[in-house]
Amino acid sequence: MNWLKTQISKETWSPYVAGILLGVMGLLAVLLSKSLLGASGAFESLAGLIGKKIAPSLFSNVYWGVEGARGLPIMRPEITWPVILLVGVFFGGMLGALTSKTFKIRFNDDAQWKKIFGPQPWKRWVITFVGAIILEYAAGIAGGCTSGLAISGGMLLAPAAFLFIAGMFASGIITAVVVYRRRY
Amino acid sequence: MANYIIALILGIGFGFSLNKAGLTKYTKVVNVFRFTDLAVLKFMMTALVVAMTGLYVFRGLGWITFPSVPATYIVGNLIGGLIFGVGMALTGY
Repeated sequence: MNWLKTQISKETWSPYVAGILLGVMGLLAVLLSKSLLGASGAFESLAGLIGKKIAPSLFSNVYWGVEGARGLPIMRPEITWPVILLVGVFFGGMLGALTSKTFKIRFNDDAQWKKIFGPQPWKRWVITFVGAIILEYAAGIAGGCTSGLAISGGMLLAPAAFLFIAGMFASGIITAVVVYRRRY
Repeated sequence: MANYIIALILGIGFGFSLNKAGLTKYTKVVNVFRFTDLAVLKFMMTALVVAMTGLYVFRGLGWITFPSVPATYIVGNLIGGLIFGVGMALTGY
């Protein structure tokens, strides 16, 4: 019991152990509710839900569905299973930080980030905002993100997942080289 | 309703594992692209292998049928991945 307590209060686990935990979660998702662990789709559903309230005509398209049209839209604009999952992810991450006593409200305290981009928090916010738009847009094109397509698709041996992983690493490495230049 | 409770619990497990693997940190995610810390890759591939093995065993036992497999459209998947990598290396998420 004490051993378990020490393990849970550790800040970082071996990625293999954490990976097994995620793998079991992915397995349970299929077993218990026939769903895949996707994160990016939740944001799209929420965006559609809000958009349909504010500008119904603008959001009445193939992606979020047209009123009265037959068949399901690509992204259902409602509180879907992934949206609830995302709420859980938030609290799960918080739980992880609380158990290792590293929970803290941070704005920008990553040493490596500061070395590359400078210490100003607003820079972190702007780059994060732009980067997140890129992430979500790309996830929309590819049909999922790291969790929903790469891991959940990969475990079903979907070719899409492996194409996505290849693309992700190719451009990720190039971007890192560009950002870090001689400090790479 | 029960489905939503399952989603919440699985989400907590998901977030917990991400936090414990250190994937909530900018440094961890970016360093995989610099080949100085491969934790992201180890984490992803372990999850992949565990879930993959389990799924195929469960399907063999007839406990589950596969949910709809993500659609393959080579150009879309690849271009999506290429754009995604840029965002990932910039933000570290």
